Amino acid sequence: MKKFLALLLSMILALSLAACGGDSGGDSKPADESTPADTQQPADSGSEPAEGKTVKVGLICIGDENDQGYTYNFIRGKEAATEALAAKGITVDWVTKWNIGEDSGCEDANIELADEGCDLIINNSFGFEPFMLKVAPDYPEIEFISCTNQASWGDNLENTHNAFANIYEGRYLAGVVAGMKLQQMIDEGTISADQAVIGYVGAFSFAEVVSGFTAYFLGARSVCPSVTMKVQFVGSWSDATEEANAASALADMGCVMISQHSDNTTPATTAQSKGVFHTGYNNDMISVAPEASLIGTRINWAPYFEYAIESVANGESFDQDWCHGMDMDAVVMTDLNEAIAAPGTAEKLAEVEAKIRSGELQVFDTSTFTIKGAKLETAFALDTDGDFTPDSEEAVFDGAFHESHFQSAPYFNLPIDGIERLNEDFG
Amino acid sequence: MNHEKKIPLIRLAKRDGMESWKVWCIRAASILFALLLGALVMALAGANPVTAYGTMISGALGKKSAIRQTVKIAVPLLGCALAIAPCFKMRFWNIGAEGQITAGAVAASYFALFWADRLPSPVLLAVMGIAGAAAGGLWALIPAFFKAKWNTNETLFTLMMNYIIIGVVRWLQGGPWEGRKGSQIIPQFDEAACLPRVLGVHCGWIIVLVLVIFMHVYMNHTKHGYEIAVIGDSINTARYAGMNVGRVMMRTMFLSGAISGIVGFIVASGANNTLYDGVAGGVGFTSITVAWLSQLNAFAMVGISGLLAVLSKGAETLQTRMAVPTSISDIITGILLFCMLGCEFFINYRLIFRGAGRKEAQHG
Repeated sequence: MKKFLALLLSMILALSLAACGGDSGGDSKPADESTPADTQQPADSGSEPAEGKTVKVGLICIGDENDQGYTYNFIRGKEAATEALAAKGITVDWVTKWNIGEDSGCEDANIELADEGCDLIINNSFGFEPFMLKVAPDYPEIEFISCTNQASWGDNLENTHNAFANIYEGRYLAGVVAGMKLQQMIDEGTISADQAVIGYVGAFSFAEVVSGFTAYFLGARSVCPSVTMKVQFVGSWSDATEEANAASALADMGCVMISQHSDNTTPATTAQSKGVFHTGYNNDMISVAPEASLIGTRINWAPYFEYAIESVANGESFDQDWCHGMDMDAVVMTDLNEAIAAPGTAEKLAEVEAKIRSGELQVFDTSTFTIKGAKLETAFALDTDGDFTPDSEEAVFDGAFHESHFQSAPYFNLPIDGIERLNEDFG
Repeated sequence: MNHEKKIPLIRLAKRDGMESWKVWCIRAASILFALLLGALVMALAGANPVTAYGTMISGALGKKSAIRQTVKIAVPLLGCALAIAPCFKMRFWNIGAEGQITAGAVAASYFALFWADRLPSPVLLAVMGIAGAAAGGLWALIPAFFKAKWNTNETLFTLMMNYIIIGVVRWLQGGPWEGRKGSQIIPQFDEAACLPRVLGVHCGWIIVLVLVIFMHVYMNHTKHGYEIAVIGDSINTARYAGMNVGRVMMRTMFLSGAISGIVGFIVASGANNTLYDGVAGGVGFTSITVAWLSQLNAFAMVGISGLLAVLSKGAETLQTRMAVPTSISDIITGILLFCMLGCEFFINYRLIFRGAGRKEAQHG
């Protein structure tokens, strides 16, 4: 009994000593320095807070920046926007939530950021929107953005926004680079004309993906008329192993060019190990596959973030449905791998880019593709009755299908001739 | 001398009948110890431990909206701990609560998606709850049946059942129940299929509190509860007393699965308003810890699940305010659970050191 008490007392003593030690250890670090790295950044870059406008912005991410893909691309946009705004005297106080699921945890994250006093809350994943919409009505003074989604035109809320970029423009240009390479290989006799086959690793048979690979294919065919394409869906936005397997299978089927709409760099590395070429997405993949990766395209979120945050700082309202492309640098190409690209690619890229900017070239020009042998005459853009089939707003006019015209999220979801889908299981 | 060398440095001896104040001292010390270890981890991560703990508490309980979210996290933990308590009392290792929750959520979601326009809201919710309970119960009954008939290993069986039902949900998400094509997302339920809110939180909290009372009475004051306790102590005794062990097992598992199924209904209808493959979200496993920490006492589970919910919500706020990664908070939660479960060892066993043993022997 006494022994027990002695033991207990000595333990308490030891623990309390440790406690003091622990506390003083913590105190020796100035409390201010333990503020998040996120808030330090704007403080540093905005070292001359001239007008001293500060906006607190919450960012909810499905992953973290280590994915080197989707979320990393948002973080890049965030950093660039912070810098640009600092130059205008606007300090951005970022609060970032990482690795949030597309479930009620997302609702909690929105509530939490709202309660922390954010003026603007950005949700970065498609599946976040329904949960964001449960929170938005309770905080009318806070602006909510759901990137890549599409409800704001019809949700009757003033404070919700959607944003996307005309990524199909970048896809088209990447396709041009791929097509030039294929045509070079045909001209040099490395492959025959009908061996010019592109393999595409897609996440799901989702409009965003379909729109992307169709634009890519049309870009390639504009410079290499004999090209065809095979698409393999992997059933995940991010599954490094499955993406590598799909790329490998496509290469084995005779595809000499691999591209992807998925988050990882494994299709690029697989293409390199199989001795075929590759064009990337979200990120510059030349560093991981220098002998295969020709070019990449990505959404540049900085212009939109800058626009939205600046509007909030000035107390102005901003677009509920924002979608721009190369016109506002919302879509950018990563560096061209000059060492392996076909000669003249850079010049051709500049030429096509100028045509897209000027509007002279329409990516989904209906004279450039057919569906079951017939020209596309009509297609709806929006779904208004909630059955997930587009039923209103004619997208085909002036000789082209107008993508991302009626809402920011892509809606081109048609099977065009020349593209073979190897599986449909993920629709 | 020779003889002494053979005595190990530390020996263990079972002890029973420790006074309860001592027991509680050990438990309090273990929590204190865990918090100190946690403080060390936080200091390593670059946060001031005192501020960090303060942030966690205020983040979880400091505001009305924070308390609501904390309660929302605690509800499924509590419900599921209640569900598995009778199984564990019976020494039937049901680690398939995850799957039983999911099965319940699937059944409830079926009615939410396809019957919302045909039934008035209260009836629809009742039907969803009953369907959830039935589906969860049946999902649990399968391994129980095999155990009762052929004495299969219930641990593996229940675990494997989880993967099957989660696979089913993935298929539903990408296939027949998918909303926008290719999105892999099942549409949000009609408002009629969502649990109404009471005091700002979906009324699942009322359901689980009712279940607490039910489970307390069931385990301690009914014949069924007595049978479960006897089987847990000794199957042979139960047989000798004339109990149909297989039947009791199946009955108990059905009940356990049914409660898990109701939890699945609550999570799908109350919290997410939709179904997805992560609907159980690890609750089926975490609640095992809740059940053990509470020593299968229904009322203690309220406190323990609340504690875990505070830690979990606090961790989120910690990440928001101090940019401490949530994984750090997961580590702290892990340390806390480990210490709390580990201290039971010191309550049940005594350490005898080599030297001390000799002294005692001399005394004797």
